[in-house]
Amino acid sequence: MEYVLLQAVFLPLLLSPVAYYLGRKSGPNAATWFTFGLLLYCTTIMIAPVLSGTYEEHYPWTKMFGEFGFLLDGLASPFAIIIYVLSTVLAIYSKPYMVAKITEQFEEKMHHQKQLVGDGQSTAIIESSALKGYLNNQIGIYFALYLVFAMGMLGTVLATNLIEFYVFFEVMLIPGFFLIAFYGYGARRRIALLFFFWTHVGAVVLLLGFLAIGLSTGSFNFAEIREERIPPDILAFAAVAIIIGLGVKLAAFIFHIWLPYAHAEAPTPISALLSPAMIGIGAYGIIRLIVQLLPGQYEHFSLFLNLWGLATMLYGGAMALMQDDIKRLFAYSSISQMGYLLFGIGSASALGLAGSEMMYVSHGLGKGLLFMMAGAVILQVGTRSMTKLGGLAGKMPITAVCAMIGALTIMGIPPTSGFMGEWTLFYGALQTAIQEGSTIRMVTFGLGLVSTVITMSYILWMMKRVFFGKLPENLSNTKEASWYITAPMMVLAGFTIVVGIYPDIFFNQIIPFMKGVVGV
Amino acid sequence: MALEIAGLDLGTGALNGWAIWILPFVAALIVPGVAKFSSRGTSAVAVAFALMSAISAVMLLPSALEGNEIHDQIPWISSIGLKAGVLADPLAIMMANVVGWISFLIMVYSTGYMKGDKSITRFWFWMLFFIGSMQLIVLSDNFLQLFFGWEGVGLASYALISFWYQDKKKDHVGTEGYTALGVLQYYSPTHAGMKAFIMTKVGDIMMLAGMLLIFAFAGTFGFRELTHDTAWATAMSAQGLLVPAAVLLFGGAIGKSAQFPLNEWLLEAMTGPTAVSALIHAATMVKAGVFLVARLGPLFFALAAVGIAMDQFFEIIAWVGAITALLLATQGMVSPEIKKVLAYSTGSQIGYMMMALGIAGLSQQFVDGYTAGFFHLISHAMFKASLFMAAGSLLHIVGSRFMTDMGGLRKHMRKTYAFMWAAGLALMGAPFITTGFWSKDAIFAAVYESGNTWAIPIFTIALITAIITAFYTTRMIGMVFFGNKSKHIEKMEKEGHHIHEAPKSMWVPYGILAVLTIGIGIIGLSAEEGIHELFTEYLSNTFGISTEHEVAMESEPILGGFLSGINPIALMASLIAFAVGFGLGYIFYIGRFVDPVKFVNSNLFFYAIHKFFLNRWYLNSLIYWSFVTAPLFFARGIWRYFESTVIDGMNKGSEKAVGWSAKVIQGTQTGISQSYLYVFGAGILFVVLLLLI
Repeated sequence: MEYVLLQAVFLPLLLSPVAYYLGRKSGPNAATWFTFGLLLYCTTIMIAPVLSGTYEEHYPWTKMFGEFGFLLDGLASPFAIIIYVLSTVLAIYSKPYMVAKITEQFEEKMHHQKQLVGDGQSTAIIESSALKGYLNNQIGIYFALYLVFAMGMLGTVLATNLIEFYVFFEVMLIPGFFLIAFYGYGARRRIALLFFFWTHVGAVVLLLGFLAIGLSTGSFNFAEIREERIPPDILAFAAVAIIIGLGVKLAAFIFHIWLPYAHAEAPTPISALLSPAMIGIGAYGIIRLIVQLLPGQYEHFSLFLNLWGLATMLYGGAMALMQDDIKRLFAYSSISQMGYLLFGIGSASALGLAGSEMMYVSHGLGKGLLFMMAGAVILQVGTRSMTKLGGLAGKMPITAVCAMIGALTIMGIPPTSGFMGEWTLFYGALQTAIQEGSTIRMVTFGLGLVSTVITMSYILWMMKRVFFGKLPENLSNTKEASWYITAPMMVLAGFTIVVGIYPDIFFNQIIPFMKGVVGV
Repeated sequence: MALEIAGLDLGTGALNGWAIWILPFVAALIVPGVAKFSSRGTSAVAVAFALMSAISAVMLLPSALEGNEIHDQIPWISSIGLKAGVLADPLAIMMANVVGWISFLIMVYSTGYMKGDKSITRFWFWMLFFIGSMQLIVLSDNFLQLFFGWEGVGLASYALISFWYQDKKKDHVGTEGYTALGVLQYYSPTHAGMKAFIMTKVGDIMMLAGMLLIFAFAGTFGFRELTHDTAWATAMSAQGLLVPAAVLLFGGAIGKSAQFPLNEWLLEAMTGPTAVSALIHAATMVKAGVFLVARLGPLFFALAAVGIAMDQFFEIIAWVGAITALLLATQGMVSPEIKKVLAYSTGSQIGYMMMALGIAGLSQQFVDGYTAGFFHLISHAMFKASLFMAAGSLLHIVGSRFMTDMGGLRKHMRKTYAFMWAAGLALMGAPFITTGFWSKDAIFAAVYESGNTWAIPIFTIALITAIITAFYTTRMIGMVFFGNKSKHIEKMEKEGHHIHEAPKSMWVPYGILAVLTIGIGIIGLSAEEGIHELFTEYLSNTFGISTEHEVAMESEPILGGFLSGINPIALMASLIAFAVGFGLGYIFYIGRFVDPVKFVNSNLFFYAIHKFFLNRWYLNSLIYWSFVTAPLFFARGIWRYFESTVIDGMNKGSEKAVGWSAKVIQGTQTGISQSYLYVFGAGILFVVLLLLI
């Protein structure tokens, strides 16, 4: 098992030019299967270390920053598994989606050029060969960026060093920026910049916190950071900076400015990675950096995190009710779900934290499914506006069933993983409320449960507007999406049910870790 | 043989306990596979598995009658130390048999009712999923596992209510365009499904909160563990959290059993296929709440032994039941749709069961009310399933959900007519020959004898409700089968549609249940006594609830002969209720001596009260206003004036700020050497001045 994590993280980065080259030379199929195979390999080799419990790798780095290490423990392994599982299945999903998207962009471009030239003489043959070249080139770029994006996310959750964490944090940002800028919808360059700007502002604030800790303790290694060694005022500053920095990534209330744009306008496979996999890394960061490394500060801020989470849950849910664009609805839903994560982190109890992490897992699977459904609908129908949709369940049954399972996961209905996340999360909040005899925590517990009803309302309403009711006449020829789309959805749908019935798959890792962290 | 297996071999018994709920799930999973080969095969598989599940349940019956208990556990979420298990005690086994056999009959009925439906596979999947979930509720040995079933039946209910998701006009319920307080009382299947799921979810989160509260103190979800060691209850009671937790748990039952104030979803649930209405919204799922109370009632009542009184909890149950019983019965009197009448009636009858279970906890003889409630559950499950299936036949043949579109059908559908009378009489509580009479009488007696301060008001409500029940049942049968044929039927006949009896696969199941209702009704008293004995033993063995019932009985001189053991006042009340209700119904709808429409319009008071009932006491409208319209309005306000302006403004603001600062800096980069020199000179001057000072 040597160099396993090093491979898992760096192979995708090193081989990303190969993906580009393959795409350019042999077209979308080769690039897709290469990316899929590579990520599948990386996911598979991670399984053994995950099962073995805690697993570490250390490599020398610069003297100034400390060690370059990877750590796969009870906290990191569920995140790592979800990130790579999603990246792997979405690689397949990307193929038909991106081929269609790039073709569309090519047509736009040609149309634009035609208008410029104004002759309209270009023949179809030239156009089709030009399209092939353009498509191959673009799909190569897409998969190259995709691989870097995936490895950036994985690196962040495996990092054992503040600077390393920051580097990977930025590495996942840059491909994200390009993917939106190249293949997004609407004002894609502007939105990519917006995404980059805000998350970068967050990252810089985070870096300030890191520097404050690192310079005052003299080490950036997680293992060597001791709260006692940091002067109290610097400590408080660092904690606030980290919470804010990660709050931006989590898109917590007020800092969610960028999210609805980025998630709605990114190409759908990327939305399905941004939302379920990427933003939850903010929660990972808070658990790792605040809960584990700065427990004193955590105790201090936990109620605040709890309340902030509650506000985010309710706000995101209420705004999701107002949306007509499916992807925008899911974007607000993601904000709301991140509120659940934050709520659980703020619960100050082992099961609450465990529930929070389980929510990441189930949100990853559930929202992944829902975004994939949105993509399938965009591909087959060509619209994202729910007022123009309806009655698609009869036309796209597999998509509808998978979306329903995703919807149940987000709503937290058993037997999906969502319920396992939800009950442990709320139980944790309740336990602390009873132990502390805190009325305010009791109230947040109650309101948290109420927000699950809001979640249910917007999700069911969405399902109704997309899949049920009258089928608009112009959609009567809609066909089920291809296997490239439905097979990945079925994988995730199966996974969420398995986890929902037998949650020990993840709980066996998570709960002992959280108990250790909270000190039970 | 069956007795030997179930009674003596505990291992096989446990296996049966698991099989009862796992078999339907297995069938649900294989049905879509079978559908690939033959669509007729799916029906066979579905019915066969439902039968197997029911047989597994009946195999356990001997063990239940001996008062045995099967409790089998396997590891589940070991990281938290939770186990999964089946708990087949007499209560669970009786319930499992009721659910199992009624489900089986309804599955048989469905083969006729759903014949030719394109989505038959989906139908079987959800029906089987439902049966599995329901049996899971019944047989779970802990709250968390029960909650899986609890949400499972909710999900199945949602899926089956919106089964005809294309929202065709004929599948709606309510009168098109009819509004009350500005809220449209006309619902599409998908709307109704959502309404049901969300409304029951409100109950579910209460239940979840109650479960988690208990778990926080007890560290276990297991029912038996909670009974054996009651330290958790003492601790909770000391903090004043026990009654709230119990009431929150009851909240789940309120939602699932459509009790006041979460009763409104059940009416719209009638958009589903009638087989679904019979199975889920009459015979089984709505009983889940009653079952939960029956599961938990003794547990909480037994806490009296450690000095914890749960009176408030039981009072709430009794009152919620009483209010619901009356509320929904009054609405049942005026509804023009046959399925809605039955739905109102279901909610109202469940109110009776809740009333009995609540009263049980308030009286000395816990077992009396407990038996009465459960006996009513069994008898109601039989006659209401029968009535619903018969109503389904009517809908199937007539093609309309309105009773005003029926009329005069008794000559054309003789079997349905007869069976509907049998089951209807049970609902009315026709004396001495129907199960409904005995179970209702038992409830009356339990309430009357409880000796609680609330006994008399609740008894009065129960009596009034019983009168109304007899009235609306007579009205329903009168409107459907008596009088002249409606215009709708005449039109159908003109168009060449022949009004005929329902096919055999349909009338046999409801025929069986109707006959059973009368059959068991004739031996009703001894049946009730049997259950009474069984529960007396069960409650004292498991919960240590002793009873001095027999002694109390002997001291009172009561009616002699076969009526011994009956409270005379309760008996009088039952007889009067039936006589008055049926008599009034006969005058208006069977004898047709008075035209009810003219009667209602003849005087403002009757008109107003008719309107009030028809508009569902305005409860539905108020719920829509306060929980749908108002929150959406509020959210829209935030969307417009905060999210789209303030939050989005931050994007534009930052964009402008960057642009502005760029311009400022750009402004200084003029490229003119003179201005650079001026600034340079001014800078030097400034520094020199600083140094000098």
